[in-house]
Amino acid sequence: MTAVEAEKLTVLYDGKPALNDITFSLDEGKTLLLLGPNGAGKTTLLRTIACFHREYLGRLLVFGDEPCRKRDLISYVPQSYKLNERIPLTSLDVVVMGSLYRRSLFHLRIDKKMYKKAKNVLNFVGLSGVEKKLFRELSGGQKQRVLLARALMADPKLLLLDEPLSQLDPNARAEVAAVLKKIKSKKGITMIITTHDVNPLIDLGDLVMLLNRRMVAFGRPEQVLQDFVIKSVYGPLAKTVKVGERLYCIIGDTHIYQRDAP
Amino acid sequence: MIEPFLLRALLASLMVGILLGLLSPLINFKGLAFLTHATFHALLFGTILGMIVLLLTGWSYSITLVSLFVTIVVVMGIAGLERKGFMPDSAVGIMASFVAGLTILGFGVLYSLMASKPYYPLSENIISYLTGEIFLVTLGDLTFLVVAGIVVVFIMLVFYRDFLYTSFDPEGIESLGGNVRFYLSLMYFLVGFVSALVVKSVGLITLQVIAVLPGAISARMSRDLREIVGLSLVLTILTMILSLLIAYPTGIPPSGIATLFLGAIYIATARRGVS
Repeated sequence: MTAVEAEKLTVLYDGKPALNDITFSLDEGKTLLLLGPNGAGKTTLLRTIACFHREYLGRLLVFGDEPCRKRDLISYVPQSYKLNERIPLTSLDVVVMGSLYRRSLFHLRIDKKMYKKAKNVLNFVGLSGVEKKLFRELSGGQKQRVLLARALMADPKLLLLDEPLSQLDPNARAEVAAVLKKIKSKKGITMIITTHDVNPLIDLGDLVMLLNRRMVAFGRPEQVLQDFVIKSVYGPLAKTVKVGERLYCIIGDTHIYQRDAP
Repeated sequence: MIEPFLLRALLASLMVGILLGLLSPLINFKGLAFLTHATFHALLFGTILGMIVLLLTGWSYSITLVSLFVTIVVVMGIAGLERKGFMPDSAVGIMASFVAGLTILGFGVLYSLMASKPYYPLSENIISYLTGEIFLVTLGDLTFLVVAGIVVVFIMLVFYRDFLYTSFDPEGIESLGGNVRFYLSLMYFLVGFVSALVVKSVGLITLQVIAVLPGAISARMSRDLREIVGLSLVLTILTMILSLLIAYPTGIPPSGIATLFLGAIYIATARRGVS
């Protein structure tokens, strides 16, 4: 079954197009990596699929219906820096949130089964033992995994992740990437992931879309991640390197310092 | 035998303590301290408008009800501006300055009316709304405060977790199926409603202090949510009752004592936490 389908999708903000002419199809269980420079429209596309933004032209279907009608099947993981960490919530509090809001409007008491499920999900993302720790005191990678656990509590069929690797050190990136791979292999959830750094996720992506306010390229990683395609979006310094069988993209901020000879 | 006015003042203090004690952590966590400034302006304008209505109609509850109405309209207006994409401080700034302008106009109209009806002691009333007059709370005021207060406490307890979660991650809660717009609107409504409800007891100026400091102090003292809310409740009730008991024999306004008491605790706990 097709999980997400877009045809000539143009996303508008105040009537002006922010993202033009997007056409793609993503099958259930597959993972799509969204790549593009800042302001390319990655988050805009993700938010439109998540039904946060409803001003668009063209066709956008999630599991065969309008995104807003399929919200029960979608979990969205925001960038962790957007969270208000002044509130001293524990990791367990944060994970439990994931199961509450499709059931009732208010939550005076939470069923013990929910806490049990939350502990299991935390265990699944490799975080058993941090239940009572304050969310704000976790490392960046742990926070991201707690947010993943929260998203999994809702038993989604489509997981939308906005820059899950941003502001993480290389070890934490690897940890989060490993959990995403586990989600894909064990749960078979369809995922769309925006990222600036495709390298830790390259094994995970079945498809890659390169955006720059329009769809520059879409296809399998080896089709999209080619020098001339990457350079057309990120500039002449961007390139791809193959080490053994593994493809690496060098597309981040590259600073070249030229010194005059003494 | 305890004097009836003192008993009314004690009960009013207890209710105000419970309401603001519960609300204060939310105000701190959501970063709504600036909103209390807008409610200050709204309440002042509402009080003046209520006095004008009182002078024109003679309806004794006009000040309470008009200030309640104006405050809720202003607070919901701020919530509406935020939904349209305004930054919280811009939304508060726009509404507060607009209402401040209306207040000055209202003062002009009020003084003209007072000149034509010199037998109404309204000039005292303006001061009493600024400083609070808990010893002058009538049985009618107390009944309204307690009944409305119990309803508000019930609503707050039912939605407290959702207010916290929505303040933590509105986007995430929306994606999880939560009605963020409803929770935020209800929270803003409660801030406005509680402010208008307690203003006659604690006064406009003290309201800002008692609405913010207990939550801020408690967040410094503990890292546990339940403890923070519990501490805030105890601190607010204690402050209200103590200031009343000190004010009775000394004649110092209780709102002033409450402000000094909380200010001293805040400074004393300054080395703890980050709030």
